[in-house]
Amino acid sequence: MTMEIEDQELLEGFLAETTELLEKLDDDLVTLEKSPSDSDLLNRIFRSIHTVKGASSFLGFELLVKVTHKTEDVLNRLRKGELVVNPEIMDVILEAVDLVKLLVSDIRSGDIKEREVEGTLVKLLPLLSENAAEATVIPAATPQPEVVSAKRGKKKSTTKSEKSAETVVVLQNPVPEAPRVVAPEHAPVALKPVESKNEELADNSTVRVDVKRLDDLMNQVGELVLERNRMIQLNANYQGGENLDVFGGDFGKLTKRVNFVTSELQTQVLKLRMIPVEKVFKKFPRIVRNLARDLGKEVDLRLLGEETELDRSVVDEIGDPLIHLIRNALDHGLESPDERVAAGKSRVGTVVLSAAHEGNQIIISIKDDGRGVDPDRVGKKAVEKGLVTEEQLANMMPREILDMIFLPGFSTKEKASDLSGRGVGMDVVKTNIKKLNGIIDIKSELGKGSEFILKLPLTLAIIQSLLVEVNGEIYSIPLSAVLETLRVEVSEFHTISGKEVLKLRDSVLSLVRLENVFGVTGDYADNGSCYVVVVGVAEKRIGLVVSRLLGQQEVAIKSLGKYLANLAGIAGSTILGDGNVALIVDPVSLIDGREGVSAGRMAA
Amino acid sequence: MGAALAINVEEAVGELIQLVSFNLGDEEYGVEVLKVREIIRMPNVTRVPNTPYYVEGVINLRGKVIPVMSLRKRFSLGEAEYDKRTRIMVMEVENELMGFIVDSVSEVIRISASEIQPPPPVVKSGVDQECMSGVINQTERLLVLLDLEQVSSQDERRMLTSVTI
Repeated sequence: MTMEIEDQELLEGFLAETTELLEKLDDDLVTLEKSPSDSDLLNRIFRSIHTVKGASSFLGFELLVKVTHKTEDVLNRLRKGELVVNPEIMDVILEAVDLVKLLVSDIRSGDIKEREVEGTLVKLLPLLSENAAEATVIPAATPQPEVVSAKRGKKKSTTKSEKSAETVVVLQNPVPEAPRVVAPEHAPVALKPVESKNEELADNSTVRVDVKRLDDLMNQVGELVLERNRMIQLNANYQGGENLDVFGGDFGKLTKRVNFVTSELQTQVLKLRMIPVEKVFKKFPRIVRNLARDLGKEVDLRLLGEETELDRSVVDEIGDPLIHLIRNALDHGLESPDERVAAGKSRVGTVVLSAAHEGNQIIISIKDDGRGVDPDRVGKKAVEKGLVTEEQLANMMPREILDMIFLPGFSTKEKASDLSGRGVGMDVVKTNIKKLNGIIDIKSELGKGSEFILKLPLTLAIIQSLLVEVNGEIYSIPLSAVLETLRVEVSEFHTISGKEVLKLRDSVLSLVRLENVFGVTGDYADNGSCYVVVVGVAEKRIGLVVSRLLGQQEVAIKSLGKYLANLAGIAGSTILGDGNVALIVDPVSLIDGREGVSAGRMAA
Repeated sequence: MGAALAINVEEAVGELIQLVSFNLGDEEYGVEVLKVREIIRMPNVTRVPNTPYYVEGVINLRGKVIPVMSLRKRFSLGEAEYDKRTRIMVMEVENELMGFIVDSVSEVIRISASEIQPPPPVVKSGVDQECMSGVINQTERLLVLLDLEQVSSQDERRMLTSVTI
């Protein structure tokens, strides 16, 4: 069918527009269910579907036209007030929208498959007839799949099949044999396809950029060109034997301006890569709705800070961990409505998903007002599963106990459900967050709720880093992982079974001497004091012992290449102002390394 | 590898091959000129921890970070101080740039393919048999033809296996 479309651009335009509309649609539909009287919203939904229908009919995607047409009809009745929104109707509409997404992703992949659309269509039909005074309306040809299959790909048939779908016949007995075809296929897998399809729909190969941003970028480039000319001029003056003092002064000014312009430019380019976190957030209302229905819980999902922007590379990676955390909040965190009432809470549980900027990081939090995480239960389970021993448990602080939920294989659920309980989820969350150089924090109050806080870097290509010196060698530590730095006397170190630790306020911090890990041999005048850089990744913290702190610098990450891939403790490299290469420390593998897990990681 | 090159050599009989010749200690080696991207002086090398001892570290090659290894150490030819004749030959190995430190680079020589002889079965020098793709025996010089791609790919394999252990 794609072949028939001569204008590839037209098709791409269609895909981009449709994808955008559909992404918004899920969210709108779920909102509509909550506020059925919002006619603006309803009209918007109607328009979206209508636009998709119009465009697809123009391009000759019959299946798409069929589904959208029927959906539109149902929405039209809602609009006219002939039907009232209820969960059942919404289920059907959502199913139809899912089908539309599937069809669109087929078109995108250029591989248009035969799809069974009749099942969904048949579900839509009763909605078109119910309450209608005259009779039940069923299209004549609907139950015969040949109508669809035989005519696909032929432009001529568009009109024909549309007609056949529109032809209506009055029947006594509505919905003939339809449920039999549909039910087994759609009902049990309702949730899964939604997620995967959303991924497919998100097309990341092209970027839509605000023209304003592009203009800003052009302006900055213009500035840079000016500064370059200035530099050429300066050089000419210098060669011409200009007074060195004058040259020095001019050069100083130029340096400042170039510095300013390039950092502006850098910000602009980074901004081009930024997209609002809404892109990830907007699929959650739908997921939460389905989950809540499946679990028999009442949930009010609140989204905050959707406009917060972050790098596309981060956005791509963050979807999965968030889904897991939200599932957890619903499944483990929130109690059933009855339990909630018994505990003196409102029936409806609240889950707040929020995003905000904090310095060079983005903070995403998932907070629920459920039962909270019980450290005792976590501890008991961990012992049961053999993850820790009784003695180890006794020595652990409540925080550390909570952290154990991130261990692979951990689950407090007695029985694994479809949703959770196999002990994989939190491990996935941890792995993903680590991959992004992020930190994860848990706050929990028994009976009051729990909160998972993700701290992620804004971008992965350029990072803020702390330059440190280890016996004469310079290393760069990602600032996103650095929690604090301390100047300490070596005499303050303690040892626990031969390993150095430091008492840091009320906790004990394991120490890693970078010179040992990296085998630094250079001499360093040890005057008894050194610096400890406290780094945290996901939920763990360690202290890195270094000889000197050199300061904070923004560095561009350079890959070390295949040959040096997978070096323990090294995430990549960067080039310093003096042209020398400094290695970027990978706190992740250092922390893991302490646990005896040899895991190397490479920044791309 | 030896076989593949042998075929090449046979096909190329009579054809002229250009080689860059370089020295490691008293020995003279050669690599095909087309494989050499550039030859640079020793810049500052940043040591990379936990690598084989012959990997000297990484350097900044006009904004690209590339690994460099000492061929002397790689072939167990004893260590030597770097001096002003020391050079890094930057070559493209499996689509990635890599630097090889040599004592000095002398010249580009042309030889006819027929002059390349298969390497002798036992060579006393430390050069691995697989990395040696031929020997060129000219009247007053003996040149060992190296296949440096082989050098690094072997290392990679070795490093990978050491990681999985």
